[in-house]
This record gives sequence, C-alpha cells and structure tokens, in this order.
Amino acid sequence: MNSGFKDKLLMELKAEVAERAARRRSPVLRWSPGRRFLAGAGVVGVAAAAALTVPLVTGQESPAYALTKGADGSINLKIRELRDADQVEKDLARFGISADITYLPLGKRCASGRAKPLAGDDVKITPEQLGSKDPAVKKKAHDLLDNTPSAKAIRPRDGITIYPKHIKPGQRVLIEAAENPEQVSVQRPGVAWSFSGRLVEGPIAPCQVEDEPYAYEIGDATPPAGS
Amino acid sequence: MKLRQTGLADIACDPAAFEAFYERHFDDVTKFLARRVIDPHSVADLTAEVFLAALDSAHTYRPGRGSEVAWLYGVARNTLLAERRRSVREQRANRKIAGRRLLDGDDIARLEERIDAEASARLAIDRMAELPDKERALLELVAIDGLSTAEAAQALGIRQGTARVRLHRARRSIQQVPGIMPAIGGTK
Repeated sequence: MNSGFKDKLLMELKAEVAERAARRRSPVLRWSPGRRFLAGAGVVGVAAAAALTVPLVTGQESPAYALTKGADGSINLKIRELRDADQVEKDLARFGISADITYLPLGKRCASGRAKPLAGDDVKITPEQLGSKDPAVKKKAHDLLDNTPSAKAIRPRDGITIYPKHIKPGQRVLIEAAENPEQVSVQRPGVAWSFSGRLVEGPIAPCQVEDEPYAYEIGDATPPAGS
Repeated sequence: MKLRQTGLADIACDPAAFEAFYERHFDDVTKFLARRVIDPHSVADLTAEVFLAALDSAHTYRPGRGSEVAWLYGVARNTLLAERRRSVREQRANRKIAGRRLLDGDDIARLEERIDAEASARLAIDRMAELPDKERALLELVAIDGLSTAEAAQALGIRQGTARVRLHRARRSIQQVPGIMPAIGGTK
C-alpha cells in the first residue's frame, strides 16, 4: 500500500528513532541515585531483584561492556551501554557461565514466570521490614536477602559480579536490565538503569514485555552498598 | 553484518535500519490490524503504536528464536490488548504519534479497502469468541494470520509443544461452531 499515510508515518517514526539515538549518545558521567527494586506487592522475594545505577559512559569508541575475572574466581561485568546482549551471553559462556540476558527500556519488564526460581530464594520479607526504623529488624531482613542462593551468586558490586562457586550444575543466570532513555544527572535525579539478576533452573521462556509502573521511582536515592 | 548479529537492536537507533524494517513489515502490520479493527482512524493510530512498541522491544528479538514477522505479530497483539484495556481518554493522552492525524481522504479510502478485504477474517475471529483465550490466540495467529505453529508459539512466548496441544484442542472445539470451518479455510 503506497500512500501518503505510509510515508508520513515513516517520517515521524524516523524522527523518533533519531531522537532516541541522540539520547543514547549523550554521556552522563555522574553517579546517580538508585534504589532497590522490589518485585511484587507486600511480600517480596528479593533475590528476584537487586538494583544498581552506574555512570553511563557512552562514548562512541568505548565497548558496550567489559568482563574481567577476579582473583577469587568471580566474574565482573560492567555494562556501559545496553546492547549486544547475545555477545555478553557468549562471553560469559567462555567463563563457564550459562546466562540469559535481556535489555529493555526503563519502564518495561519481562512478565514473571519465565523460569523456575530456586526454592531457597523465596524469603518472606515485607518492605516495612526492609525500611524499618529498628536497626535489628532492618539488618535481619537485609541479611536474609543477601544470603539467598541468587544473591550469593549475583551481586550488584562494582557493576555486576557473578560468583561461579555459588552456581550449581543445571542453574543458569537470568539477567534483565532496563535503561532510562532520558538523561539523569545530579541536577535531574532519576534512575539511570536498573537490573535484576537471579539464578533459575530448567528452561527459560522468551521475555514477554510488560509495563513496570514503579521503574522511575528513586526511593531513598541511596545507591546500594558496593555499587 | 551487524544487523544479523544483534537482531533488531539497530532499528531503535539507526533511522536507515528502521526504514528497512518498516518497509518489510508495514503491510503485515496494517493487515493484521484490519483483521481486528474496522475503523480506519483506529488502524492508523494502532499502526503507529505497534511500530513504536517495536522500537521499545527491539532488544528482545533474537534472530535464532524465530522470524521477525512472528515476533512483530506478538508485539502487535500486545499493543492491541493494551489498547483495549485503556479508556479513550488515556489512549489520546498517551499517544506519542497520532496516526489518524496523518490521514488524508485517499489514505482513508485505501485503509477502508484493506479493512473490507479482511471482512471474512474478522467474521472468523468473531466466531472464535467462545474459545478459551489461550486457544483462540493461537488459532487466530495460525488460521487467520498465516503463521506456522512454531511462529505462533514464538509470538505468544509459549513452548512449541504447548502450542501444538492448544491448537489441537482449539480445532476440535471450533468444529462445533456453525459456519467457522469455511471461514478459516479448513484446518492447516
């Protein structure tokens, strides 16, 4: 169907693509406030999610990401730009890690139920406990979260750090990362990007993209420890 | 070739890559919509929405897991479902590109022709209304939109085995609905 509509819509969409490309090229060199991102309402299983923000360095020549192996056997992944998810998967495979990585724009997430979670990740903690004014209650909740099988294997530490010694045979690393197309800075605080990482068992279904209504909330604007 | 390595990631940041993608799929998208929507203005709005949603989701397409068109039909289906859940006011407020504003008289006439050409497909979809949602979604994509069972499974994000079972069930139940088999051209 050749029509004026087809051409006019193409022009509008190409303008949108160009605008997105321009936003991607704008470097943001500052740390920006982040938040823990908690899935579900009320009771949370947070192995399902740990969020971090990173300084986005999106210079033309810099590689999209860097992988390095630490002396303790851990694998550190620093993502500078959300592209080439397939290549990250391939490179991790060379380190013996089977991973499924999905990149999304901030505000979207994969619908739950893509893969079978680990039984040990299912800790019952409420957001009230995590934000409790009683230091003992708060510490206990955070300790529980930090000691699930997924949290031990995938930590938001200096980027994302993966500990193969905590990954059992048959388990895979499932990472979903979302990037904010808008620039964030100290003047305009916001979530630059968020990531959720967890271990799963068995087959992983494709990502069904859905809205993540809380993606832009910056919480208490405190970057998580170690990020 | 970069495009092959990275799937469709390029279409969201490279206008030339996007244009090629748009040219490949504009007709598929408008026909898909014309099988489900009878108002040319809504088809125009939704066409814009589907391509915008494709930009948002481009990172999720993996060439190894199936065809572009099957992936795009999955995007189009989700867009349509989301649209039906929103009120008219919400739809207007959230629209980034109002497709209907780009239409002139000739465009409307062409879209109406396209919508008329899909009348029997819309009738068949109406008659599937009694099927359970999951079975109907599969039967629509296979019998009406012409995807293979594997492609329909990809569009819906389900396993091929599950798709085969659901499709079998759908076909068995649909045979009891009067007038449906001629409309969907028998079973494939």
